[in-house]
Amino acid sequence: MRIELNDKILLDVKKPAKYTGNEWNMVRKNPEDVAVRFAFCFPDDYEIGMSHLGMKILYHILNKRDDTYCERAFAPWIDMEDKLRENNIPLYTLETYTPLCEFDIVGFTLQYEMSYSNILNMLDLGKIPVLAKERKEGMPFVIAGGPCTVNPEPLADFFDFFVIGEGEEITNEIIDAYKEWKKAGEKREKFLERVALIEGVYVPSFYDVEYNDDGTIKSITPNRENVPGKVKRRIINNLDTVDFPDEIIVPFVGTVHDRIMLELFRGCIRGCRFCQAGFIYRPVRERSYDNLLDLAKSAVEKTGYEEISLVSLSTSDYSQLPELCNALIEYTEGQKVSLALPSLRLDNFSLGLMDKVSKVRKSGLTFAPEAGTQRLRDVINKGITEEDLLNSVRMAVEGGWNNVKLYFMMGLPTETMEDIDGIADLGIKLIHACRDLPHGKTLNITLSTSCFVPKPFTPFQWEPMDEIDNLMQKQYHLKDRIKKGSRRITYNYHEAKLSMLEAVFARGDRRTGKVLYTAWKKGCKFDGWDEYFEFDKWMEAFEECGIDPKFYANRKRAFTEILPWDHINIGVSKRFLKNECEKAYMGETTENCTANCSFCGVQGYKAGICTRTKRSV
Amino acid sequence: MAKTLRFRFSRGQELKYLSHLEILRVFERALRRSGLPVEYSQGFNPRMKIVFGLPISTGLTSDAEYADIVLEKDIDLSTFVETLNESMPLGLKIHEAVELKNKNNIMNEIKGARYNITMRASLTYGEMEDMVSSFLSKEELTVMKKTKKGMSPVNIRPMIYSMNVIRKDTGRDVNSSGHEDGNIIELDALLSAGAQDNLRADLLMEAFMEYTGLKADILSINRSALYTIRSNEWKTPFEVANG
Repeated sequence: MRIELNDKILLDVKKPAKYTGNEWNMVRKNPEDVAVRFAFCFPDDYEIGMSHLGMKILYHILNKRDDTYCERAFAPWIDMEDKLRENNIPLYTLETYTPLCEFDIVGFTLQYEMSYSNILNMLDLGKIPVLAKERKEGMPFVIAGGPCTVNPEPLADFFDFFVIGEGEEITNEIIDAYKEWKKAGEKREKFLERVALIEGVYVPSFYDVEYNDDGTIKSITPNRENVPGKVKRRIINNLDTVDFPDEIIVPFVGTVHDRIMLELFRGCIRGCRFCQAGFIYRPVRERSYDNLLDLAKSAVEKTGYEEISLVSLSTSDYSQLPELCNALIEYTEGQKVSLALPSLRLDNFSLGLMDKVSKVRKSGLTFAPEAGTQRLRDVINKGITEEDLLNSVRMAVEGGWNNVKLYFMMGLPTETMEDIDGIADLGIKLIHACRDLPHGKTLNITLSTSCFVPKPFTPFQWEPMDEIDNLMQKQYHLKDRIKKGSRRITYNYHEAKLSMLEAVFARGDRRTGKVLYTAWKKGCKFDGWDEYFEFDKWMEAFEECGIDPKFYANRKRAFTEILPWDHINIGVSKRFLKNECEKAYMGETTENCTANCSFCGVQGYKAGICTRTKRSV
Repeated sequence: MAKTLRFRFSRGQELKYLSHLEILRVFERALRRSGLPVEYSQGFNPRMKIVFGLPISTGLTSDAEYADIVLEKDIDLSTFVETLNESMPLGLKIHEAVELKNKNNIMNEIKGARYNITMRASLTYGEMEDMVSSFLSKEELTVMKKTKKGMSPVNIRPMIYSMNVIRKDTGRDVNSSGHEDGNIIELDALLSAGAQDNLRADLLMEAFMEYTGLKADILSINRSALYTIRSNEWKTPFEVANG
């Protein structure tokens, strides 16, 4: 069924081109010519979803197959949702205007816990039963991938299965299994049995969870044969062997990252203890210089984009960065294409580089010291000293940058008021330290604090999150101290209530799924957007489900406790994380992967940096 | 040798929900993909030298959009049209290009726009024609219009050059009793357009319905022509490209 839309709907919503597709490089196929129809769903607005690299990669991988047609759907903005519901129009894909319920597989990407309510809403809008157990023969399989699947438990009731890890290879294996299952003419459950055998697939209904009287988990066990006790994360060993898209869809509507994204590498060598990405994407694997340069050129030719951005967790750590940048600068200048270099550590080399690429205006530079004192930076293993920062900022100001952004976290383990004061004092010191410089008198600092949310598979996965009241007090205290210290510092902070909710779902178990369902029924959606976040409704949902959010957000776990995600194996060992946590409390730092291997466990993949770094004794 | 071309393009159903700014970006990216030798402005932030005749509102289709573009070197006109079309998304199409031999900015040239408005209403052609002539007989038609100072009352009557019911030769007049959904009626309107005194077709219809009490569903609006004026006569932008 092709959905019909009209002017009455589309001329009455903001940015209607978000809902009509037809973008350049959108893949066109006849749905009748393919064996598998796949709807790739992003549980947020089009402008966010179309900025997401993972979706572009998998769209490309799936559509390369002649037997599969991958289409896209996004969470309609509130105005459009109202129109859809008013006119009883199901949520549809942008390629062929087909309702989600008509697809074989509906795949979501889980990028952020606060988009979970949108998933339920999209399923409902797409006329698919929200609960997996209510889906019958002939209905789509609803699956999910992305970083939040490392703890899939809060969503266990809603998905048929999860895909843990990188998707380029496993997605093909799932499609092959689907075709075989279809050919065999088997029942719905048989497909789940088939995919459960694929390494990296987690079928939640094949596992039973038992609880202790104190609410902690007693056991997580497979309830049938041939199902792995632990599901191992999939990775791509050599990035140069898998396809990276150059025929990227070019949206009409401006998106958040409206440019070519060139992925330098996956993983990060740094091992900052609060950072989930630093652990769940290990080990570092680089794409080769030659491959990247070719990709950049063909992507410019095929998209007409005016900007290329290098993408990774830490651009400066790419081993051939100078060579790559020189070659890219030479190419992009000729094409009148600009080059963006985010996530650079500031030193002489990178400053020179930024000077070369940003001929337009020197707007802002961003630094992330994350904590206000050296003691606390050692606790979180953020290898940056006050002296580094002073030098970097002085260099930047000398180079003509006069807007500096500094990012910090509040509520980190072991934090005291001294650390909070340290945040303000660091900003004030920087203002003073730059006064004597030619541009120093115009230096402005924007200082932002977020609330630390402990995440699974980090050394802080056992830690309590700071209480909302404490965080708010710290925010007011800091605001006050900054105001007294300097007029040239602007202070922004994140909503602590939203972070608390994020903390619940980051480390939640299956029981938190009921809260999610209840909150969605109450109308919660787009929780990550300030204007739609309704904390009170969420609290009502906890209340009605008899679940205490503090049990999940603010409780310190024992090392011996069975964690909801213990049956997921991302490659990094629990022993290593525990050891890192203990080192954190002692203020001891850990070297990065280039300097020394600390045997975190991912060396078992025998990939990337693990095949190069030797442990020195 | 640099050369300036003037080209006409259409916008179809597929892309009618794009805003004017979004259309501009589509052209910039399509031109980059095409590899055509577009000239850029000098300075820190080089821009392609392309100027559009008249912004096109979201929701409209059009057969007659015009733009001027400066190329670094001489290119055969049909090669330009073919090459650019290969890089245009479905829903935008270049139809024809001519060489521009004067320096007149296309934006200043545009003075009039012709629209084809399709609606559903329970009226006969005759009844509709009566409504149009009574509407046009008014000396003042004041509506609230968005201006630089916000909403303010504007007399749009001088901005309406003509309005006609298009009688489709179906061999019979549409039946006034019609079926309950009403009849499909098309209007042709020539309106003032350009930097000054621009009257949008949707605003015209709003005023028309307000003044006549007509209840109609506007189904679609298509821009069918853009004009400039030479010696008191309407001319297409192509007709004035030579001198």
